[in-house]
Amino acid sequence: MRTLEIKNLHVSVEGKEILRGVDLTVNENEVHALMGPNGNGKSTLLGAVMGHPKYEVTEGSVFYDGQNVLEMTVDARSRAGLFLAMQYPQEIPGVTNSDFLRAAMNARRDKPVSLFTFIKEMEKTISALEMKEDLAHRFLNEGFSGGEKKRNEIVQMKMLRPTLAMLDEIDSGLDVDALRIVANAINDLHKETGMSLVVVSHYERFYELIEPQFTHVIVDGRVVLEGDAELARKIDTDGYDWIYKEYGVAPAAEAEEKRPVISLGSCAVGAQMRKDDNR
Amino acid sequence: MTLIRESTEISLGEGYASYEIDSEKPLKLKLTGTGHSDAFIRILNCPELTVTAEAGEGAQMTVLFWNGNTDKMHASEKYTVKRDAALKVAYAEVEQADTERNTDIELAETGASAVLSSAVLTGVRKEFNVRVASLAPHTDGRMQNYSVVLKGGRYVMHATGEIVKGAVRSESHQTSRALCFDEGMTSEILPILLIDENDVQASHATSLGRVDEDQLYYMQSRGLTPKQCTALISTGYLMPVTQVIDNPQLRDELKEELERKISELCSM
Repeated sequence: MRTLEIKNLHVSVEGKEILRGVDLTVNENEVHALMGPNGNGKSTLLGAVMGHPKYEVTEGSVFYDGQNVLEMTVDARSRAGLFLAMQYPQEIPGVTNSDFLRAAMNARRDKPVSLFTFIKEMEKTISALEMKEDLAHRFLNEGFSGGEKKRNEIVQMKMLRPTLAMLDEIDSGLDVDALRIVANAINDLHKETGMSLVVVSHYERFYELIEPQFTHVIVDGRVVLEGDAELARKIDTDGYDWIYKEYGVAPAAEAEEKRPVISLGSCAVGAQMRKDDNR
Repeated sequence: MTLIRESTEISLGEGYASYEIDSEKPLKLKLTGTGHSDAFIRILNCPELTVTAEAGEGAQMTVLFWNGNTDKMHASEKYTVKRDAALKVAYAEVEQADTERNTDIELAETGASAVLSSAVLTGVRKEFNVRVASLAPHTDGRMQNYSVVLKGGRYVMHATGEIVKGAVRSESHQTSRALCFDEGMTSEILPILLIDENDVQASHATSLGRVDEDQLYYMQSRGLTPKQCTALISTGYLMPVTQVIDNPQLRDELKEELERKISELCSM
């Protein structure tokens, strides 16, 4: 059984510690919801598992299917079955979606996919995601609306067929119809292949469609609470305040605000502004 | 396809024509364009090439030079664009042999226009000294230069857009971009605008630099190795040069050739 095992993961970004000891286990076929206030480490966790170069793992381990993920390059992680649908997909001018996807599919095969099979598969996927037919020939995400970029992430996921997909706010920027289309595509692949899912979303509406069995709440770089689907529903109704109170935690953004930030530059600007006001 | 082995004069009429230059000695080519002509010129071998060309009144003349020289080449080219004629000159440089190219395009009469494009993939020395000059009113000169500079490469692009006094309502625009992936190469882009008339429009844009780290991460996160990313991005960067020719079959062939060259170089 393919399992993602994250143990005591500490991650820093530009010298600042964002994750402070995360433990998470995701087994084959499981669907996990990752929740928490903004800026508390959800995206950092997914990015660190995928291998974003800006995220420095300072402690802990990540294993997938028995392999040490932290020792693998980003592309090797992808070929090992991991997939990250990104919150802000990059635009790559000059590279068409079809050239990119075909290269990505061939990167994980011994024999290259035939052009005929590729075109058929691409057409089927574009139609399942109800995207425009010219998608294949457009440059990768260039000039795409926010919703189109998110759907295109799912097009890639369906074509590459990962064994574990991490979805980082894939529902943001999607209208109600697009949300249903994307959720159906994710559920279909999950049912067909047993792909595991780690899903970051702020919205219960999306979780209702994806039906996670587990919910994890990350506050200030740690998993402070775990539960089932009911926990996601409670957070949707009641917010996070009750968790801060009951578990004695404070979100990272609040901790940041309490710290006084003084610099000579800001004093000088402030002084100048006051001087100007007095004129 | 017509083979050219010695100095010759070619009259480009309506439609598409292709040529191959194969000469051990310096060669002179005289081109005259009338009507709507598309010419694809593949240089297999030529140490020194001199081109003089004229796009006649009202002509739409396009010439794509595909440099397949495996030895050093020096090219010197002079184009004259007549009244209401439109000239497109494009260069593809993908072989790893030094090239020096001096190109001079003169928009000699009212309504003349020219677009000069270049696509360069290099791990060697490629030097361009190009000038597009507006010598008459209502003329339009444009330059689009794209290069991918690999380890050991030296790319020099001196691009001059000129508008002389009296060439009112003329335009001169240029874009030059050099992309690199690694360390150990040199790129020098010198955009020059020589404007001696007030009622004109002119601009230049230049960029030199590496591929964005986040873009590489995004592509790698789908399973592509850094070399495969380099090859895909380079192809996308250089392919537009083939679009000057209105011949889909040739474009497909050139794309395949470019991809093959790029993947060869990127896997070194």
